[in-house]
Order: sequence, then C-alpha cells, then structure tokens
Amino acid sequence: MRAMKKLIPHIFLMAYLLVILYPFLFVLFSSVKTDNQSIAANPFGLPDTFVLDNYVNAWVNAKISTYFWNSLYIGVLSACLSILFAAMLAFAITRMRYNRISAILFQCILLGMLIPNNSLMLPIYGIMRQLDILNTHMALILPYVANAIPFSVIILAAFMRSLPGEIEEAAVIDGLRSGGLFARIILPLTVPAIVTVFIINFLGNWNEFLLANYFLSNDELRTLPVRMVGFRDAYNMNYAQMSAGIVFSVLPVLIIYAILQEKIIEGVTAGSVKG
Amino acid sequence: MNKALRNPLIYILFVLPAFILFLAFFIYPIYTAIDNSFTSWNGISKDVKYIGFDNYATAMSDVAFWKSVKNNVYFILFSCLVQVPLIVIFSLLIANVKRLKGLYKTAVFAPSIMSTAVIGILWGFIYNPDFGLMNQLLGLFGVEPIYWLSDKNWAMLSILITNAWQWTGFYIVMVLAAIISIPKELDEAAAIDGATGWQRAMKITLPLVMPIISVVIMLSIAGAMKAADIILVMTKGGPAGSTDVMATYMIRYAITSFKHGFGNSIAVLIFVFTMIITALYQVLIARRNERIEY
Repeated sequence: MRAMKKLIPHIFLMAYLLVILYPFLFVLFSSVKTDNQSIAANPFGLPDTFVLDNYVNAWVNAKISTYFWNSLYIGVLSACLSILFAAMLAFAITRMRYNRISAILFQCILLGMLIPNNSLMLPIYGIMRQLDILNTHMALILPYVANAIPFSVIILAAFMRSLPGEIEEAAVIDGLRSGGLFARIILPLTVPAIVTVFIINFLGNWNEFLLANYFLSNDELRTLPVRMVGFRDAYNMNYAQMSAGIVFSVLPVLIIYAILQEKIIEGVTAGSVKG
Repeated sequence: MNKALRNPLIYILFVLPAFILFLAFFIYPIYTAIDNSFTSWNGISKDVKYIGFDNYATAMSDVAFWKSVKNNVYFILFSCLVQVPLIVIFSLLIANVKRLKGLYKTAVFAPSIMSTAVIGILWGFIYNPDFGLMNQLLGLFGVEPIYWLSDKNWAMLSILITNAWQWTGFYIVMVLAAIISIPKELDEAAAIDGATGWQRAMKITLPLVMPIISVVIMLSIAGAMKAADIILVMTKGGPAGSTDVMATYMIRYAITSFKHGFGNSIAVLIFVFTMIITALYQVLIARRNERIEY
C-alpha cells in the first residue's frame, strides 16, 4: 500500500515526461527512415535499417552551415554587446554615488520589461528602414542588443549591489579610479551573473524568429530558425529529410542545455523572460 | 573614496550607451507608433497624410480584427484555465517525490529553451493528417484522421496545445522553486497535527505559493499577447483567418500589404489592450496577494 502510494506520482510524472520527450524521439526516428511511406508504415518505433542520407541531404540542401554561422555570430555578438552596455549601466547605478539619478534610471529600465515587444516590431522596422540598414545583420543586432538590456541590467545590478563596499574602498585606496574599478574589480567579480545573462541572451537571439524573418530578405543573411521554416516550406513532401533538419537545429541547444542546465534554469526563471 | 565614485563624466559615459539604446528601441518606437497610427502612410513614400482616428475606426469595424482579438482572449483563457491548474498539479507532484526530481525538472523545462519556430515545424509534422504522430495515435483507437491545422474548428486548439506543450514546463520550474523554498517545518508541523498530504498541499503549500502563481498568470497573459511566431510558422493565421491573433493581423497589413499607418494603429491597440488587461488583473486579483516572508 505504501509502495503504491509512492508510485502514483511517478506514474503521472512519467506520463508527462513521455508527452514532452516522445515528439523529439518521433523526429529522431523519422530522420533515419527512407521516406514518407516508411514513416507511415512504422510511425512509432525505429526502422529496420538506418538511413543516414537524410542528414547529408539536409545539410547540403538546407545549407545549414551558412545559417548556423549567421545565427551563431549574430547571437554571440549581440549578447556580448548587451552585457557590456548593461554591465556599465549597472555599475554606474549601483556603485557610483549618484543615488537619485540612478534610482530614476533604474525605474525607466524596469518599465522596458513591461512593454509588449511585438507592438514595437513595426516602429522598429520603420526606424531600420530610415537608417537604411534593413537587410543587413545590423538590423538584427541593434534591436537584439537593445531588447536584452532591461533584463540584463536587472540581473547584473542585483548582483553588483550584493558585492561588499569594502572591496572598492580597498581598491580606491590602492589608487584605482572608477574606470579601473569597473574593469579590474567589479566586472571580474560579476562573472557568475554575466555567464547566466549571456546564456539567456544568446538563447533568446538564437531562437528569435519574428524580426529575423521580416528584417532580412536576402537569403544568404538569414538565421537558422528562419531558414528552417523556409526549408520546411520547400521540402514538406519529404518528412524524413525535414526531420534531419530539425535535429540539426535542435541539437546545439540541447547540448548547451545538457551542460549548463542549472545556470539556464536559474537565469531564465530569475528574469522570467518568455519568448 | 567619494571622489573616485563621483565623476560626472565617467558616470555619463557609463550610462549613455545602454540608455541611448533604451530610448531608441523602447521609448522612440512607442512615440513613432502613436504618431504613424494617425496617418495613411504606406511606409515608403515621402508624403505622410494625417487622417485622425480613421485607422482605429477601420480596425474597430473590421470583423477580422475582432476575430484576432478573440483568439488572443482564447490564448489567455487557455493559459489560465488549462495550463495553470496543470502547472500547480505537476509542480506539487515533482516537489513531493524523492527520486528522479532532477530528471523531471530538466526534462520538463527543455522545450522552453527551444526556438518557437522549430517547435512549430516539429508540431506541424506531428499534426500531419497522413502520417503525423497525432493521427497515427488516434488511429489506434479507430478515430478518423483529423486535419488539425487546415480545419478551422481544430486549428486554434492545435496551436494552443503546442504553445502549452512548450511553456508549461517553464512555469512548473518557477512554481517548483517557490514550493522548495517553503521551510520544511511548516509542512512537518501540519503532518504532526494529522493533516493528510492533500490537506497539506491545499492548506499550506498552495496559499504560500499564491504570489508566484500570480506571477505565472501575469506572464501567461503577457505571453498570450505576444504570441505570433508560433502562429506564423504553423498556420500563417489561416485557414481563413481562424487562427489570427492581433500581432499576426498587424504583420499582415503592415509589412505584407504596406499599410504602415494602419499597422501602427494595431500596434498601439496591442499595447493598450495589454496594459488594460495587466492593470485589471493587478487591481482585481493580484492586489490581495501580499509578499510572504518566512
């Protein structure tokens, strides 16, 4: 009876786990089947013979390497820039002695978290056109950097505020000015928070679809999620090959997640950013 | 000490980059959206004609617009009435098991870090009427194939299920963190007094995590108003506009058919509606939840 009682929650949780994980397995299994017929004939399990051609074809047909690098470089560069700017702002408002202005600035930045950002998409599209940078990577990098600032500032400021004041007293006595204090003392101490913020920003940029879809029309410049949708539209007669494409685009994120899951979960839930 | 940290030049230098970006990409767009919403501008030509509230009047009298508003409301209702109870139940279950807690947490959270676009593609495959997982599974029980994404009775529900599949785990982890931070003594004291597991969950844990559930509801509402990419990827608003939400409606007019002024008026409406719903929720419901300190 007791054992039964312990088992019941696990039955429900395993069912939930199955619902979450099976779709991934379904795609993985489909990606090694020959064609739609063999998926239809044996939808749930592994095929008798593994076909790896789909992976080769998807890599070649979807030119995944190009888009993979586009996504990677836009994602990393934007995440780094927003962290640099956010860290500077966070340092100024938490450590420098301008409390009143700093409080107002911080409130302004907090407001940014409340603004529904897809209502800003259209005006930003207009601004990008005025600046004449639509259809260049800058049209994505600038909004990505800006969009991540409120969240990054909130997390970094909270972390910097918790650093003891004695550290900077000692540094100032040793002759550091505010610039050196930021670069040599505060920034290195903030690294744990920076790592969290970097992962969250990077994942957000890597996964972003709306801006990437509408701000770039040149095929060579597109990012991986946009390309995947284009690939789906072009090859949706061949689900086996499409599954291989899905595996390619999900795999990097899954690997990062497997290694850094604690940091990711902590960071995402702390900032409560969604989508 | 104060001299090193009171240097106006350095302060401005440190604040400026982030603050300029903030003004350029948060404040200025709101201003241009409002400004453009009163014009009939196509987004390209030089002459901009102000037409007062015409765009808003057009939107208000467009049946398709109200349909998209209704779909946003479905999104919100589905999140609050279906997702939130599931979130509470599963986070309570995970909090109370001794084994495999880490596995459950990790697995449940995984879909929320993935690209919505790719999730949309994946589920498009699952919903495929001929050999998708859904119909194959239902076929085992003798259910006739359902055209999930091309039947307007099913399309919206299909999208809501996909969205729930992606985000439920994210919220479960949030609520779970709140449950775990409740001091053990409270639960133990209740157990000594003879409360059953069910009573402890309902009378101790649930009231204590109410504030975080309130946050979850707020985020679900914000997410529901934001949803656009999943719809664009799965149905593009179709069939016959039955899955359009305000954001996809806006994109269709503004970018695809060059009605920039009109699109901006929809952007302003999304903004206003989100603020109204958030404020209403805060005033009517969330106000009663004070912060809990242990």
